[in-house]
Amino acid sequence: MKMDEIRPTSGPAQHAAVAAAARTLRHEAPLLAGVLAALLALTWAFAGDSFALNILATAFLFGGVATAWNVIGGLGGQFSLGHSVFFALGAYMTANLVLHAGLSPWLALVPAAALAAGAAALVSWPVFRLRGPFFAIATLAMTEVMLSLSTYFDALTGGAQGLSIPFRRGFWNMIFVDRMSYALLMLGFLAVCLLAMIVVTRSRLGYRLRAVRDNEGAAQAAGIDVLRVKLAGMAISAALTGVGGALFLMQVRVVDPPALYSLFDVGVKVALLALIGGIGTTYGPMLGALLVIPLESWLRAELGGALPGMNLAALGLVLILTALFLRRGIVGALRGLRRPAILARRPRPAGEAAR
Amino acid sequence: MTEILNILALGLLLGGIYALVSVGLNLIFGVIRVVNFAQGEFVMLGMYGALAAQVALGFDPYLGAVLILPALFALGCAVYWLILRPLQGEPMMQIFATFGLLMLIQNAVLAATGGAAFSVNSSLAVGSVALGPVQVGTGRLIVLIAATVVTGGLAWYLNATWHGKAIRAVAQDRAAAKLMGVNVQRVYTISFGIGAALAGLAGCLLAPLYSMTPQIGINFILPAFAVVVLGGLGSVAGAYLGGFIVGLTEAFSGYYLDPALKHAVLFVVFIVVLVVRPQGLFGHAGAEEVGLREDG
Amino acid sequence: MSFLQIENATRRFGGLTAVDHVSFAMEAGELVCLIGPNGAGKTTLFNLLTGQLAPSDGRVLFEGRDIGHLKPERRARLGFGRTFQISQTLTSMTVLENAMVGALLHHARLGDAAEEAMRALEMVGLARRAGDPSADLTLGERRRLEVARALALRPRLLLLDEVMAGLNATEVQEIIDLVAELNAGGLAFLVIEHNLKVVRAFSRRVLVLDHGALLAEGGAAEVLSDPEVVAAYVGKGRAA
Repeated sequence: MKMDEIRPTSGPAQHAAVAAAARTLRHEAPLLAGVLAALLALTWAFAGDSFALNILATAFLFGGVATAWNVIGGLGGQFSLGHSVFFALGAYMTANLVLHAGLSPWLALVPAAALAAGAAALVSWPVFRLRGPFFAIATLAMTEVMLSLSTYFDALTGGAQGLSIPFRRGFWNMIFVDRMSYALLMLGFLAVCLLAMIVVTRSRLGYRLRAVRDNEGAAQAAGIDVLRVKLAGMAISAALTGVGGALFLMQVRVVDPPALYSLFDVGVKVALLALIGGIGTTYGPMLGALLVIPLESWLRAELGGALPGMNLAALGLVLILTALFLRRGIVGALRGLRRPAILARRPRPAGEAAR
Repeated sequence: MTEILNILALGLLLGGIYALVSVGLNLIFGVIRVVNFAQGEFVMLGMYGALAAQVALGFDPYLGAVLILPALFALGCAVYWLILRPLQGEPMMQIFATFGLLMLIQNAVLAATGGAAFSVNSSLAVGSVALGPVQVGTGRLIVLIAATVVTGGLAWYLNATWHGKAIRAVAQDRAAAKLMGVNVQRVYTISFGIGAALAGLAGCLLAPLYSMTPQIGINFILPAFAVVVLGGLGSVAGAYLGGFIVGLTEAFSGYYLDPALKHAVLFVVFIVVLVVRPQGLFGHAGAEEVGLREDG
Repeated sequence: MSFLQIENATRRFGGLTAVDHVSFAMEAGELVCLIGPNGAGKTTLFNLLTGQLAPSDGRVLFEGRDIGHLKPERRARLGFGRTFQISQTLTSMTVLENAMVGALLHHARLGDAAEEAMRALEMVGLARRAGDPSADLTLGERRRLEVARALALRPRLLLLDEVMAGLNATEVQEIIDLVAELNAGGLAFLVIEHNLKVVRAFSRRVLVLDHGALLAEGGAAEVLSDPEVVAAYVGKGRAA
């Protein structure tokens, strides 16, 4: 078949469409730089306020992890609720290397990421055959398995007591006295995650992930190896999440299974942040984190004494309302305002109601 | 030998608990095909409802069920109508919404009770009964009997009454049921309400067995999903037997391996079954649901 | 060695035999029509060819090689393109991006894939819609987009499953012309069709499937006047 026997119809609209589809990191870089500069300015504005910087650091950290989740969850459409497994593996690997091998946490980040990525390939392969809610439930089950195993293999994990990193300040120890350093560290992590998200989105893998998300059957018919694409997306997502877990360890210096595997704090939380901010958008999860985490902290401070748990109750309510009315998230809704005709709900033909 | 019998008894009693807790989820998940992560919270509400009935009215928790059942039925119908009906056909959003509901209910109760642990007593659930060489707690035995009665009752209801048949018809084929004059949304609402009420009933019966905290619901939800999937979506008998499979797995792995590992074993088994035999033991339509086959 | 050879292909679903020992061969660049009443097993046969289903019995040979165990994505890479009875559009992506997904097979750079995708869109007449969200397309346009996505794969064989269904006369003619042009350029086609006008337009070789088995084979005129074929069709109340 001769593809060069074409009917020439290329006009400016077509060139624009081709250019839009071929955008690379270079095109996205200015916006990314701008966002990071704004966050840097925000961080600087709170210089000296330890409490605020702490919250900001946590928001950046979970914004990064939520962005990492978004690679497989938003771009790939595979809503994993088991990312706490990768988070925990990163934390435990780093703890062991720091405590038993005297390694600098900076160097430990690489094996932490590698372990998480390897685990992703191993555990995801069987469950990627499952669709939708069954996949999500299976990932929750995986969390339970790992929680149980982490409590059992206490030589590696400190069991139920967990592990703690002794306080020895220093850059190479990744332990700082001032909160500003942690905030900048986590901002750096967020930057890496955003960069990774952009690179993946603007790559063949990104296109393939989106195709798999939209319609696996069509993707297969177009020559996409669905399983391999899902595994690649999951591995990247897991590696970044593992690094996040390592950084979490260094920030709080004490970790135990309930903290690491907590659905409310990690596993479901990062999916929740992505949902509120905008699943599948680049900056949505970050925005979700910057909104929710300070809000949660404020609620806990204001109401926590008199009404314990109100921060989580409020978050639960937000989650219900978001799922009902704002499932495209804040960024998605903002985009919708710009192009209302496109985002208006249209009746989906039977073929596209993909199960 | 007595040891094995003891573990067996423990497993069966646990199985009764799991079967009772899961029978409502099986109806909801099996019929409406809705993922309800708040189901464990309905159980918790049943427990706290029994507590409230005892504190306020002096009711025995088993008697409190008389009040709990209609209350939770109403709550279930409201939850379906307001939250789940708009999300039909969007399973991931259902998961998010019901997870949010889980967080809301759990923490609302936490805020209301200030985090104290409570316990409830029943005049019936005291002591233990000797069955051969094994001693079984009366309370747990009652739960086992109740699980059997409820399962039998539900099976009868689904097979013998018009309403029950309507529920089954909708589960099998929505469009055809509609053509037969069945109001599908009303069936779904009532089914969800019944599912919630059954969870509340489980809560009442379990109340004398546990020390109550608002977080207790989360201990039930994943095993309940495991039971429903193992037994086969929507199969009443399957969920009943699934409960015992889960209970026995837990009891035996707790004894022969390590108590810390029993959850690991259970959920590994769960994942394996989900991947290898998604229709469970007795289910029919599992494969399309889990997406292992294309529809039609 | 034929381009495509199906030997005794059989597919059972429990007690139902959807495809029953079907055998035929195709040469490179051929255009074959597959017709038969509803439920005859035509789409199931397609699924056996493209890999969505594995045969219960029999073999599928492509250029002499048994591909019966290969997954759909592997077969797509070997040169099998297909469209689906119910259009499977990638709804979150633009028209161009839909077509690009097929082109990614042959290009490492997005820019090159986008250009090949644009060429595929031009072939099916959708170039002017390149930047539009694919969810905005009409049914006929969706069908053509599926063809474009398959074309971007650079297939050797294109399987079209009732691509004309629901289209108006003008759209039907446009696709007939497109298929003829592509076929003249060397692309083999296996086309499921109900529309007899289309069948007569592609009249060289027609296969008739009924109850999963091959009922008749030949030129359009010959097959359509075969009394058994007529009975299989008209007996269900359809006018020829």
